[in-house]
Amino acid sequence: MKYIKIAATAAAIALAATACGGDKKDDAGGGGKDPAQLKVWMMGDGTPEQTKFLDGVETEFKQKHPSTDVQIKYVPWAQVATTFQKAAAGGQGPDVTELGNTDVQSHIEQGSLADISDEFKGWADGKTLNKTALGNDTADGKTYAVPWYGGVRGVWYRTDWFQELGIQQPKTWADLTAAAKKVQDSKKVPGIGIPSDQTNALLSFIWGNGGEVAVSDGSDGWKGQLDQPPAIEAVKYYAGLVSTEKVAPEKYIGKDELQGPQRDFALGKLGMYIDGSWALKEMTKVSKKNADKWAVFPIPGKTGGSAPVMAGGSDIAVWNDSKAKGAAFDYITVLNNAKNAKAWADYSGFSSMRSDVKFSDPKLEIFTSIAGNTKFPPISSGWGEFEQAKKVLPNAVKAIMQGKSAEEEMKKANEQANTLLNP
Amino acid sequence: MLDTAPAVRKAPGRKSSGRARPRRRPRLGPYLLIAPTVLVIAVLMFWPMIQIGIMSFQKVGNRQLRGEPAESVGTENFDKILNDPFFWQTLRHTVLFAVVAVSLTLVVGTLVGLLLHRLGKRMSGFVAGGVMVAWATPPVTAAIIFSWLFGTTGGLVNWCLDLLPDFLVGGGWSDYNWFATPLSTYTVLTVCVVWQACPFVAVSVLAGLKSVPGELYEAARVDGSGPWRTFWSLTYPMLKPIFLVLVVMSIIWDFKVFTQLFIMSGMANRDSFNLSLYGYSEAFGSLNPKLGMGSAIALVLTIILLIVTALYVRVMVRQGETK
Repeated sequence: MKYIKIAATAAAIALAATACGGDKKDDAGGGGKDPAQLKVWMMGDGTPEQTKFLDGVETEFKQKHPSTDVQIKYVPWAQVATTFQKAAAGGQGPDVTELGNTDVQSHIEQGSLADISDEFKGWADGKTLNKTALGNDTADGKTYAVPWYGGVRGVWYRTDWFQELGIQQPKTWADLTAAAKKVQDSKKVPGIGIPSDQTNALLSFIWGNGGEVAVSDGSDGWKGQLDQPPAIEAVKYYAGLVSTEKVAPEKYIGKDELQGPQRDFALGKLGMYIDGSWALKEMTKVSKKNADKWAVFPIPGKTGGSAPVMAGGSDIAVWNDSKAKGAAFDYITVLNNAKNAKAWADYSGFSSMRSDVKFSDPKLEIFTSIAGNTKFPPISSGWGEFEQAKKVLPNAVKAIMQGKSAEEEMKKANEQANTLLNP
Repeated sequence: MLDTAPAVRKAPGRKSSGRARPRRRPRLGPYLLIAPTVLVIAVLMFWPMIQIGIMSFQKVGNRQLRGEPAESVGTENFDKILNDPFFWQTLRHTVLFAVVAVSLTLVVGTLVGLLLHRLGKRMSGFVAGGVMVAWATPPVTAAIIFSWLFGTTGGLVNWCLDLLPDFLVGGGWSDYNWFATPLSTYTVLTVCVVWQACPFVAVSVLAGLKSVPGELYEAARVDGSGPWRTFWSLTYPMLKPIFLVLVVMSIIWDFKVFTQLFIMSGMANRDSFNLSLYGYSEAFGSLNPKLGMGSAIALVLTIILLIVTALYVRVMVRQGETK
């Protein structure tokens, strides 16, 4: 009976979310002088340092809007989807919000973001923003968000082990396999961590082989390319590191890079794994012992050169239901001015999306050069469902790692891409 | 609950004074008393259920959540899921898991109950306290603990299995991935769910055992009946009503297992999905919710559970009749 009640409560909450959708107020006006309150949503768990940084931003913001009180709310990444659903349904949304960049198109399609094209044109700093990232924030020629920070991934490795075993920085796929094998044989730890649920890494291998997830030919929508030879070959190589080469352990099947590889690498129980600059902060929390021997090289392409990497990161947008759109955009301009962008990059380990803000930490320099070669997954509102709800690629990779035919799994994944990416 | 029926019958009998029975007035009281409960249940449960019923025939996404009218799609949602082999796979997982988990819960729970009955006062209190901890542990906590126990780096289970001699359990356990295949995932899930559910069965059985007169057992012993025979010929028939209720309730609980599986294997392992997880991934999995599809899946699960509940109510009513 207890369970039934819990279920009933849960259902009621879900219902509340649906039922309240009706009473939407029309507020096209907005842009009042000084709103009493500005609600800002930041993604992630939040830290004292981040709060301190945002306090500084607020002080600066108040020079222009002295009577506005800025309220920060941290939304943990795991709850992002449900929190935004409730915001859309209940009208209790933010004024300014951070967004994962792969979610921006979904938000635009759902009409939850305000059109800020005019404000953006009047913002001088807007010209410094990364053009590729900005492209992800526009639809039909209108701007709905601005890029804030970005992160790219590389291969973390141990300098001491590479030196001792005489391994050169891997430049090709074959080099990478050989390096992993060498580490595995002499250090008695798995050579490289290849989780099945790490699409961002997989994409680098597909792109590094000249493949694509899907291509858009303008009017016809997205056409899946996953059943094409370059993509199949890349997935075969990626999954093969586990199933045929056996330089990556089976224990990461069904996991992502945070559910094992990161911790194991920090503990010295894994030779290499793929992650971003922000991982350094997390890994030193696990163990500081070998921290000075950790370093990064770019994910290699099949026959040489660095593979393009997925530009992960966050953007900032004005929520469509906001009653203070003007002040909301002013907040964005303060948050992302040169001074604050620099402070944020230095704290977070993420690179700024402004071309005039550079990384100062020499250890993270390599990421600046990796970031010179980024790509986006298909800019479609269906990507959310393809990657988050259905997890099409992670499940295909898992099946291939467990011995299913790569051709068949990728054919199925491609059919999914054809339907889901054209919602 | 079992006494209400006779009590109601007695009251009008005493009051009747030859004339037509004053039906209305005494009948109103019970309804008034039950009204608040019904109201709360109606708001919290029936209304959402009706909504789910309606939504399962509609296309409901974020745009609809924001106030746009939902478009009716007829039985499209149901056509989609019923023609999807993946739906049948999750249904199979759900049913198989329920069968195994319910049987194990009852067997283990009954054994613990019998043990509790036999133990001395102090030891019985100790064991009962121990099993109640499992019952009191929130599912989220239990799931996290179990995913740590069965984890790869630093997992206690793999460490123990690795220490055991290879001819007993085989080698290579230190990196064994319990959550890679459905079978091993469900093994861990079953252990976790049974561990949490068996205390309730144990305590219910214990309560039943306490009500069985001791002379019966004495007589059985005098007649030379062993423990096996005593259980099946004496304990089981005496506690049959309790077992029936326990079975039905366990089925209801185990059909709906979500939290533990969600935490242990998550969204990246679709091959291990059950119905609840499938419904969740459709409805809430991404920023493009498909609440209509999710509702349709939830409705199927609800109908299955309603059938089981109907069975449960029948059992309850039957019990009321026999007593």
